[in-house]
Amino acid sequence: MGPRGELIPDRREGSLSLNRGNRNLVVAASRGDVEAFAKLVRDHSGLVHRVALRMLGSDDAQDASQEVWVRVWRNIRNFRGESAFSTWLYRITVNTCLSIRQKESRRDERELGDEVPYLSEPSGGDADPEAATLNAERREEIQDALQHVRAEHRAALILRHMEGLSYAEIAEVLDVPDGTAKGWVSRGRAAMLVVLAEKNGLHRKREAGG
Amino acid sequence: MTPVAGVERWEVLEKIGAYAASELEGEEAREAEQLIFDRPDYRRLADSYARMLVMLSTLGSEEVEAPEVVIGYAVRRAYASAFLRQAETFLGALGRSYLDALVYYFGLRPARPEGYGGGA
Repeated sequence: MGPRGELIPDRREGSLSLNRGNRNLVVAASRGDVEAFAKLVRDHSGLVHRVALRMLGSDDAQDASQEVWVRVWRNIRNFRGESAFSTWLYRITVNTCLSIRQKESRRDERELGDEVPYLSEPSGGDADPEAATLNAERREEIQDALQHVRAEHRAALILRHMEGLSYAEIAEVLDVPDGTAKGWVSRGRAAMLVVLAEKNGLHRKREAGG
Repeated sequence: MTPVAGVERWEVLEKIGAYAASELEGEEAREAEQLIFDRPDYRRLADSYARMLVMLSTLGSEEVEAPEVVIGYAVRRAYASAFLRQAETFLGALGRSYLDALVYYFGLRPARPEGYGGGA
């Protein structure tokens, strides 16, 4: 069990393979064992809700998480174990979030202005970047900025820099070639910085204006 | 702040982002380093990326628990679905049994020679 209380994917083989106990739960659930399914839900609900929260924001995360588990139960009989359960779960979660945000999926990336975007130093001049991240306002800014990044790029960015997946794993979750996954992460990262810098600039202007 | 020239702005932006994420190697990494070394605004861009990535990573590692209502809903739906599946199976079997009984009662099944495996 990890600090989040969920089963930790075994990354020793460079994949999201899971331990035997978890595999047994998946097999039992796929045969209609609701108790096993309930255990899977409890073990992995944090992962699903966390990704939904990052992808959609707090307003829609709960509905999305519920929808994910309905889809998991409906389809678990078709899960053949060709990919790891967590990869399959990430895929259902991301697809559910993308379908909820289908209307915005064609959203164009922000225009890049003439200036190089940058984030100002945290107030107080604290050089420790980790300390700055604990700021609630920053956290809100990030969550808000994420919503302005195109949905596919956002998904790739979240999986890479918030969930810590490799590009091969991201490609498997998003069902795209490795190069596309890498491109989406790169574009999402740049777009995210542009949005954050814009917000940061507005913030600086407000502060300068008193 | 210095204007960035031409259509390559996104490329430069993404290249420095990849460098800040430690994803560049060899020649590409050296090119990014040169850009950062030559231009203070790119240096600031790289710093901003680094700060953003730390923020994303820190936020990503924070514990998030699903609301109990989500877990309860998922489990209840599964129980209801399993119950309906079982009911469907049971009623299906019951219906078939009644049908068999009716067929037997009205003698609708064609007569078959009875055999007990003892040969002709």
